[in-house]
Amino acid sequence: MRIDLVLELMDVPGQLVSVLEPISGLGANLVTVIHKRDVKNENGLIPVQLTLEGEKSNLNQVIKRFNELGVSILEMDGVIKKEKISTILIGHIIDRDIRDTMDRINQLDGVYVVGFDIQLDGEHKSSALINIEIDVDKKQIVFDRVEEIAKQKELLMINEV
Amino acid sequence: MKEFKVIIMGFGAVGQGVAEAIALKKEMIQKDYGYNLKIVAAADSSTSAICIEGLDENTLVKTKKETGKLADYPEYGSNLSGLQVLDSVDYDCLIESTPTNIDDGEPGKSLTLKAFNQGKDVVTSNKGYLALNFKEIIDAAQENNVNFKYEATVGGSMPIINFVKDTLSSCKIYSVIGILNGTTNYILSRMTSEGSSYQNILRESQELGIAETDPTNDVEGIDAACKTVILANSLLNIPATYDDVEVEGISNITSQAIDLAKKDGYLIKLIAEVLPNNLKVSPRLVKKGSSYDVNGTLNMANVKTDLAGDVSVSGFGAGSLETASAIITDLISILKNKK
Repeated sequence: MRIDLVLELMDVPGQLVSVLEPISGLGANLVTVIHKRDVKNENGLIPVQLTLEGEKSNLNQVIKRFNELGVSILEMDGVIKKEKISTILIGHIIDRDIRDTMDRINQLDGVYVVGFDIQLDGEHKSSALINIEIDVDKKQIVFDRVEEIAKQKELLMINEV
Repeated sequence: MKEFKVIIMGFGAVGQGVAEAIALKKEMIQKDYGYNLKIVAAADSSTSAICIEGLDENTLVKTKKETGKLADYPEYGSNLSGLQVLDSVDYDCLIESTPTNIDDGEPGKSLTLKAFNQGKDVVTSNKGYLALNFKEIIDAAQENNVNFKYEATVGGSMPIINFVKDTLSSCKIYSVIGILNGTTNYILSRMTSEGSSYQNILRESQELGIAETDPTNDVEGIDAACKTVILANSLLNIPATYDDVEVEGISNITSQAIDLAKKDGYLIKLIAEVLPNNLKVSPRLVKKGSSYDVNGTLNMANVKTDLAGDVSVSGFGAGSLETASAIITDLISILKNKK
């Protein structure tokens, strides 16, 4: 059987090779690979399209291996698997245990904080942008969790519409 | 020629805009609808001008601008005010444009109910008493078998209430999500384009007359929350009042947050959400280039429907003639019904 995948890779040397290498070792064949280095998404990552061929069990091994490598699979056979959401927090973000904030978001199943950008304003409140990669349909769960944290830590939360 | 006599209660920016708009449109109304539209009384907070033969629209505006009191209107100036004005002259329709009051809805509420009891139609731009007592007011209009129109309460010139009720009448409405306050949209737009702080832009907006001296109603989301209640009741049949809306304003938004959002392809907007299980006004992230990406004092609303899918409207949310346009449209629809 064949599967079509869309992955997302960082624009650093060796990334593509590290993803392609396990494929033959796990008994699958690479049919096509489309990798355009000049097409980046808003987070600076490069989408890579792959078509693989092999026994179902071998293909599953490959998917498992990608997950272990921390490679994002955005689409599988045209079905969107992952989406990115953003949220902004304003307040005493660092003082109110930033690590705990991140951990509590990451604890959710299929949810990963993939970006964090903070701007400080002296003694005043700071502002942070958090990018989160989630399995499709997890959006509300994540927003509920962020809202719960924001309420507890008296942070202003700004979510996507 | 049939006459249609109106009283304008409240002669601030909106009331004056209505007088100006009537001066501009009365010929058209005569020609297209067969009614001679006359202002028989206009009142500010403590005085009025009353004349059954009709007052001159431009003289009303000029008097108010020059002396601050309608009592100074040549020959027909009066010290009558408030409810007394409604007893002083025969009329067909009250145009109620007194200031919004979110504590008890007065004086708009009493004026409106009195007009209903007198069997008169009412067109209003006043959000306060509708946000507090929507059902009571609608029921009173029905009991008295009069027309009650309130398009000007939400979105200024942006068509939304009549648009959804009339033009999208085939559709079930799932939600309305939009930007319903021009002042906050102006402040956030300028913070985005200039990178300045909230306090700086607020001060400049006050100097330009876009924000009021006491900006609380706008910047703390109270105005948008009133509009949320009106849309919830009128378009989604949600029997909500002001206290049912979760409200967060924009006064805590930092220029750093706007900058971070911008880098990630987003804008921060004060968004009102009207959904069956969620009435909320809060700052939200919206995608650049999406239908929510409207700037300055523009308002917008995205209506989610069953048959038509998503429909978006946009228009200037404040301004004297802009708000008057909604009031005159409501007047015309009453005249059409009378035919």
